[in-house]
Amino acid sequence: MTDPILALKDVTVLFGGVRAVSNVNLSLQKGELIGLIGPNGAGKTTIFNLITGSVRPASGEILYKGGPIAGKSPDRLCHLGISRTFQNIRLFPQMSVFENIALGLHSQPGYSVLEAFVRTPRASRAEKAVKNRVDELLAVVSLQPYIHQRAGNLPYGLQRRLELARAMATSPDLLLLDEPAAGMNEDECAELVEMVNRIHMEMRYSIILIEHHMNVVMELCRNSRIYVLNLGEVLACGLPGEIQNDPRVLAAYLGVRKSRNAVQ
Amino acid sequence: MGYINTIIILGGISVVAALGVAILTGYTGLFTFGHSGFMALGAYMAAFSYMQWHIPFGIALLLGGIFAGACSLIIGYPTFRSNLTGDYFAIATYGFAEAIRLILNNLYGVTGGAYGFTGIPSLTNLPITLVVVAIALFGAHRFVTSQYGKNCVAVSQDAVAAQMMGVNILKTKLISLFISAFYAGVAGALFGFYMAYLSPSMFTLSRSSDLLAAVVFGGMQSLIGPVLAAFILVAVPELLRFFTEWRLIVYGALFVITMIFRPQGLLGYTEMNFAFLRNWYQKLLKKTGPEALAGTPREG
Repeated sequence: MTDPILALKDVTVLFGGVRAVSNVNLSLQKGELIGLIGPNGAGKTTIFNLITGSVRPASGEILYKGGPIAGKSPDRLCHLGISRTFQNIRLFPQMSVFENIALGLHSQPGYSVLEAFVRTPRASRAEKAVKNRVDELLAVVSLQPYIHQRAGNLPYGLQRRLELARAMATSPDLLLLDEPAAGMNEDECAELVEMVNRIHMEMRYSIILIEHHMNVVMELCRNSRIYVLNLGEVLACGLPGEIQNDPRVLAAYLGVRKSRNAVQ
Repeated sequence: MGYINTIIILGGISVVAALGVAILTGYTGLFTFGHSGFMALGAYMAAFSYMQWHIPFGIALLLGGIFAGACSLIIGYPTFRSNLTGDYFAIATYGFAEAIRLILNNLYGVTGGAYGFTGIPSLTNLPITLVVVAIALFGAHRFVTSQYGKNCVAVSQDAVAAQMMGVNILKTKLISLFISAFYAGVAGALFGFYMAYLSPSMFTLSRSSDLLAAVVFGGMQSLIGPVLAAFILVAVPELLRFFTEWRLIVYGALFVITMIFRPQGLLGYTEMNFAFLRNWYQKLLKKTGPEALAGTPREG
């Protein structure tokens, strides 16, 4: 087995006295797509915040491409190739669709502030390259007609897609999707599954997916693993079929009846 | 004619400083009460370097701006490091401006203290002011439409998301603050060379709040709005002189009415650009072209 692109080793996160994440071990191979599920408050998003650097672990190690990344700032990690979407959409509402994506492309402008003032040919070229790349990314999520619209004016489903395109704009190696199907109906879910699959195949990203829509997770992770989290601990890990029949998972999701014919 | 000249020059100086505040407050979302301090730093530095070191007028203006910019980092670095935003940052800048005013007041040897800095030649005239305003506006427009400017807007709208997209928040805010203070410094230098006299009492809180008002009144994320507002806020009190004591009431009423009916400011979120022309052009294409752009959203 090759070195994983991402590995969490015995990671614990404390919020005051609460163990939000407790001794979690998780690993992801390059190009793999794994799922992360669990009841609300299980610590799924905290794990994303850990990986992207906005939360520091109390103990344990996070290895990305073989090197430790705990304590690095989110923008550094973004340049190292980690990108994410948010559970509650966090676009820049007053900026246009174009600008939202362009931001991911040029968070480190390829020219100096002085060059920005006089707009040297180098600065103009950089702007031009950004424009072309934005067009490509918009094509992937089929949002080209909306390029000049304000992001905040887009309908909900399209905002989700825009956020996905924006996450891809930083040309990541590791993509973290936090509930991309939240608030979507069956048709939209099917569309999303198709889109994530296509992105995964074409771009060769490694993806971690948090999702509450079970059919979305089961479909996207049908050949790989799903981690089930409960109260900050990894409860189970395995293929969708194994997870669905794991008694501990059922207990966490549905609860256990206190009679003799308990769910077993 | 001299009277109109004075209004235009003072209006132009106010416009340059307001452009600086527009970059910091309008685009980066950091409210500031410190720009009177940056203006004072620029004014004193430019006047001092011109008189003591005999450097040319143009370079003295730039030096005033750069000095103000450099000093802004003294307050910028610690406050941005500790993530002060909103009211907290505004109060920190207010404290900084007051500190500068008091330091200038007490440095008798260099600044003349409360007696004022006298003997500055009156070099600022109408053409120079207009040229500086034009360059300032052009540069500011270039900056806010550049990738740096976009980063500023992103930080103001959602700092967390911006950081996740790889924007270095600290650096973005410091750049914005530096440029903003640079503008204020140049404006202060122009002011000093126009008044031919400087005193710390010229740079009180009311000057900062006038600039902030120009930006809020003119509109967030807009350059042309604050430019017009800054000019209007200088010109209107003069034009309303025949109202004598009533003019300030009219001035205040204008503010209240604007804020009620246009809370985003006169030209908020209206960039000085020609996007509307492009939109018309696209609509035209849509009518004639085979492929309809911007059709109805495909939502379930």
